[in-house]
Amino acid sequence: MKKNSDDIDSVLIKKAKNGNKGAFNILVNKYYTRVYASLFSFTKSKEDSEDLAQQTFVKVWQQLHSFRGESAFFTWVYRIAINLAKNFVASSGYKKQKVNTSIDESEIEINSFEDLESIVIHNQSLRNINNYINKMPESLKTAFTLREVEGKSYEEISIITDTPIGTVRSRIFRARESIIEYMNTEIINNE
Amino acid sequence: MSDINEKLSALYDGELNSTEIDDLIDIVSKNIDLQERLAMLSVIGIAANNKPNKITQISKKSNLNLFSNIWFSNSITAAASILLTLIIINNYDFSRMNEDTKYSNQIASAISSKEAKSIVEQPEQYLTDYIMRVINEPDFMNSSNSIDLRNVGYVTSMTNQGYSNGKENFKLKIEKNNFGLKQIRYWRHGKKMIYMTPLKDGRVLTIYGNISLSTALTIAKTIDK
Repeated sequence: MKKNSDDIDSVLIKKAKNGNKGAFNILVNKYYTRVYASLFSFTKSKEDSEDLAQQTFVKVWQQLHSFRGESAFFTWVYRIAINLAKNFVASSGYKKQKVNTSIDESEIEINSFEDLESIVIHNQSLRNINNYINKMPESLKTAFTLREVEGKSYEEISIITDTPIGTVRSRIFRARESIIEYMNTEIINNE
Repeated sequence: MSDINEKLSALYDGELNSTEIDDLIDIVSKNIDLQERLAMLSVIGIAANNKPNKITQISKKSNLNLFSNIWFSNSITAAASILLTLIIINNYDFSRMNEDTKYSNQIASAISSKEAKSIVEQPEQYLTDYIMRVINEPDFMNSSNSIDLRNVGYVTSMTNQGYSNGKENFKLKIEKNNFGLKQIRYWRHGKKMIYMTPLKDGRVLTIYGNISLSTALTIAKTIDK
């Protein structure tokens, strides 16, 4: 996890704690697929993983006030998800019951994106994306990799590559746009 | 729209100022396509850090099923969107590294012990949490313990509280909690490795950096004297 990523999480968490559901929505969309993937490794069931992921973020929303930032946000979310997964495994009657979320469902919005869930649980899809990244133009690949893999800030990348920060931001964006296009055309539409 | 998407990319990276963040939160919360795009950025992050073809199994001599299919490896890998691969030493040929035989035997016997099996079989929540902190929290490995490693060629770096010999850089931390470890275990995170080595006094040495197994063992042996 990157330092800047933690910084933005702190900002979003603070806003969410103050009732900003939009900020919470950003956090959900940022981490939902990761949580889903880890839950899938437990349950081996798409449906159960989706239920548990939804339940995880409901709990996160309910308990957000108790998050003190002593660990990275995702670490905390991950713990909640894992505890739910353990309960899921321990509960033999789990499948007979619907996930019980004691919250007005209209209070927060937790979207799931089936196509993306499918990608993160299929290693081949992830490998294909990774292979595509490796074939991107060098300037895009370098900026993107320094950010996404090495965790460098835009400023650090700017210094390393001797390019203006605006160019770094643009290159990372273009790299992601290119990958998204690849995902849409070669992976999602082919499934 | 392209401008919004670029801002979303920068938001994901934590590179927007507070005003831009507020504006974007409002826009994203009303736009399901942007929400999906944000989720896509996360998937891209998972894919970018997912390099299963480059995982190196240190030992090819042994195929101890005991350590296969460990949920810990899978869940961490997926969860953190960071490649974190559990590799456990199985009958590693320590002689090639000129390591002390007694030390090697100690590790080897621990690996094949019943205790090792129970370690693997039990939920590794605490160890998981610990590793997550090593990776996620930039200051977590900053230790107040200053250990002189000049005799093995490493000097302390004043800038990042780590150790370096010019080529290899790492941080170390000694924990009173031994996590039930009786054997060295290590994980890969990107280009760095995390080594956790039990010490004779019951504590655990954690080393995090771009160093080799043999170096980690040498350092552990130095500290364990």
